[in-house]
Amino acid sequence: MGGTLATRNEQIDPFRGLVEAYGFVPNLFRLQKKLPRVIEAEQRLIDAIVVRESGLSRRLKDCLLRIVASAQGSDYCRALHAQTDSNDGEEDAALLAFANKLAKYAPWICKHDIDVLRASGFDDSLILDTVLTVALGQLLCTLANALRPNPDSELPAPTSIEASGLPEPVELFETKGPYLQPGPPAASNFPPYAFFREQFGFVPKLFQEQMLRPDVVEAESHTLAQILIPEDLLSRVAKEHVVLLISTANLNTYFVAVHGQILATLGVSLEDSNQIVEDYRRAPISPAEVALLDEVRKLACRPGGMEAGFDLAPLQAHGFSNPQILEAVAMAAVTNFLTTVQAGLGAVPDFLPRRVFTRKDLYPSSGPSRLISDAISPNDPDAAIVVRVQGGDTNAFEELVRRHSRRVFGTLAGLLGNLDDARDVTQDVFLKAFEHIGRFQRRSKFSTWLTSIAINTGTELLRQRKPFESLDEGEEEAEFRPRQIQSWANNPEQALAASQRIDLVREGVLSLPEKYRVVVLLRDINQVSTEEAAAALGLSIPAVKARLLRGRLMLRESLAPYFIRIEKRSPDADLR
Amino acid sequence: MLTCAEFLAEFGDYLEEEASPEIRARLEQHLHECKTCQVIVDSTRKTIRFVTDCDSFTLAADQVEPIVKDVMKRIHEKKP
Repeated sequence: MGGTLATRNEQIDPFRGLVEAYGFVPNLFRLQKKLPRVIEAEQRLIDAIVVRESGLSRRLKDCLLRIVASAQGSDYCRALHAQTDSNDGEEDAALLAFANKLAKYAPWICKHDIDVLRASGFDDSLILDTVLTVALGQLLCTLANALRPNPDSELPAPTSIEASGLPEPVELFETKGPYLQPGPPAASNFPPYAFFREQFGFVPKLFQEQMLRPDVVEAESHTLAQILIPEDLLSRVAKEHVVLLISTANLNTYFVAVHGQILATLGVSLEDSNQIVEDYRRAPISPAEVALLDEVRKLACRPGGMEAGFDLAPLQAHGFSNPQILEAVAMAAVTNFLTTVQAGLGAVPDFLPRRVFTRKDLYPSSGPSRLISDAISPNDPDAAIVVRVQGGDTNAFEELVRRHSRRVFGTLAGLLGNLDDARDVTQDVFLKAFEHIGRFQRRSKFSTWLTSIAINTGTELLRQRKPFESLDEGEEEAEFRPRQIQSWANNPEQALAASQRIDLVREGVLSLPEKYRVVVLLRDINQVSTEEAAAALGLSIPAVKARLLRGRLMLRESLAPYFIRIEKRSPDADLR
Repeated sequence: MLTCAEFLAEFGDYLEEEASPEIRARLEQHLHECKTCQVIVDSTRKTIRFVTDCDSFTLAADQVEPIVKDVMKRIHEKKP
């Protein structure tokens, strides 16, 4: 008994701050245990913003965190902060509305919003606490979106997301910050300022404008010291690129200006960092880094909500280790935190911005970020129906279900291995597609978009069945050497009955590792083109081709025993 | 001449008939002299044909409409 307790204590000790905040160690943090410095940094932020007493009550902070979780569609984070009474006082209504807008449409926040809060009786200290709490909510939702933790048994089952009901803002008041009164000046030896001067060469205004809460500035500088600065996993420049990309997707002029300048001090020219902003795929970075940015940009807090579908497989295929992936996710989460703080406080850039996001960039119908989007996909046979559904004609969706249910089912059946599950999940995929069709920008074919939803839904289900720890596996295997090298009969399929053929292929496909199986399913079973498969999987065309060939060769190995011609083995049949 | 490993790394496009004329010529030169790779190409083509023609993961035609009905029913139930 004593031994069990000792083990338990050892396990939770590094998470003491989390136990204090939540009463237990949430799965969201357990999944990051391979990177203790990141957990430690996150604990410090949670402690400073949520646990430490400030003008806002814990009840109200939890309520704000739930609002962010709803805005970002995170059931997990809603459950994580559902422990306190959710009865929102009427006097807090203005604060909650502000939090909702900051979480969903941060670039629209303006001085007018702050004036409304002040008129409702909130002073600058309370407004700062609100901004920080919402920003922390964005950080937690980013982690949950990427890591997809299982629900915590200590918490009630997550309730489904409530619609936040905030209409898309149209008006944009272009007012300059900063919105809050400055706090007391920092002492000359204030450690965070020394850190910023040493690492960045200056103290960014964003931090100077939070001096009503110097303890939070300390936690923030500590977080950057633990996540941005170390170079034992990802390089500093690679992480700065993550900051730049997420800031771009979040339409955050401040961070694009400041981190472009910081990159210049690291030897990256302003032109090169500008290329990351305008189109990172054309920037002078490695294919592996392009793949990293492809996945990481899904974690941005875009106006309207975070994108689903962050995928580990392409990153593992490019040789990223799990701690490296975790670090990139943490960097994206911290960037979402900081861009939210900036939007809430209206901090003005320390340098003249080379790229200013304007009203045009802010309008969501121009795409998640027009800087990194492609042209509208031409020749989509479903385009006319999609437009009708987007215009409110729900019944038109029926034809899309009819046209694509076989393909969706085929993909899911091959992924999940169970036809009944595949039938159920096929319905879920169409419901998700209907729910999100307003966000579909027609930059790919509808069928490609639908296929990626099917793959994401199927793989998410597989992950729930297998523990997340399976992340440790999946590095690219060594070169594949065929072992079966005897000739096959001319028409091998004739040797088997139809039902045997079906079983044989099903067995062979299901025994393939997931990353090869998905590609074989799309290309050979569903007859999807290489380009469409690459788009649906978020992979490059060469990566799809390589995986397809490997998958086919593996299938060939499993089928060979049934089809080899019974004859003497050729004397030169050997690999050279 | 290519080794078998080099051949196996490159023959994906060849199977799809998408290899450039230069690559194709080099692959065929190897194939001409290597019985093992001939067997691998032939059996991989047969694998693709076999897998593609098999209805192992196909939704039966009569199961499409029930899915359409269920999905639309759930959509209408969800609408306020």
